[in-house]
Amino acid sequence: MTEWLLDGLLVAALLATAVAALLSRDLFRAVVVFIAFGLLMAVAWVRLEAPDIALAEAAIGGGLTGVLLLDAVSHLGSKWPREGRQRGGKQ
Amino acid sequence: MTLLLNAVAAFLLLTLLVALVRIWMGPTPSDRMLASQLFGTTGVALLLVLAEAQAAPALWDVALVLALLSVLAIVGFVTRVVRIDRRES
Amino acid sequence: MTEIVQMVQGVLLIAGCVFFAIGTLGLFRFSETLTRIHALTKVDNLGLGFVVLALLPGMPSLASGMKVVLIWLVALVASATSAHLIARAVRSQERGRSAGSEHHD
Repeated sequence: MTEWLLDGLLVAALLATAVAALLSRDLFRAVVVFIAFGLLMAVAWVRLEAPDIALAEAAIGGGLTGVLLLDAVSHLGSKWPREGRQRGGKQ
Repeated sequence: MTLLLNAVAAFLLLTLLVALVRIWMGPTPSDRMLASQLFGTTGVALLLVLAEAQAAPALWDVALVLALLSVLAIVGFVTRVVRIDRRES
Repeated sequence: MTEIVQMVQGVLLIAGCVFFAIGTLGLFRFSETLTRIHALTKVDNLGLGFVVLALLPGMPSLASGMKVVLIWLVALVASATSAHLIARAVRSQERGRSAGSEHHD
């Protein structure tokens, strides 16, 4: 029973983060949601009993991709100034 | 005992879903990074609880890597997006 | 004996859950970034400490118990560092806003 609840919540959170990262107009928000997606994906690999892939996903999705994408967002923000990024508030 | 551990894991996932709302609404970028730090801490707890529930000691390494690398995103945010190093020497 | 240990483990797990719930409630309800840092980095690490303490009696050996405590210490250091960095980011943003200059230069 609780395993079904856990897996259902995990699937719901994964779908919510994936849709939010795709639909967000603010690029910085999309990057942070993508970092959260990486952490939830690591938990999903754990639930699928693949701890080695979960280790790789926690290292890549949680750490390295986050830093790379934040760097990319800061470069984009210096090319297109701030009002373009701040405007896309609510969907 | 496994039932309680799975219930605790489900509760922590529910906590993460609430933090997701804060990431989506958060007025400033600092709030969003703060919520991602919450994802790091709660993710470590979630992985430790799942390691006990599934009797898989390899998950401790995953939790350790998560705790170490969740700082990296914050450091990237602080040095690349906000750039505190240029403002205060 | 094992029943008592399991009961203590359950109580500690539920206490950790309560602290995590309080931390997330603070993140959700507080009005300012600095107060959110205060709620998050203290209360959540206390909850993580309770969870680690609850898992300690089930450890197979002393070394693995030490390893889990080490994970908690690493999480403490990481959380303290990131709280400090985010507070500095907030302060530098406020200073940039009050000086009237944009900070993406």
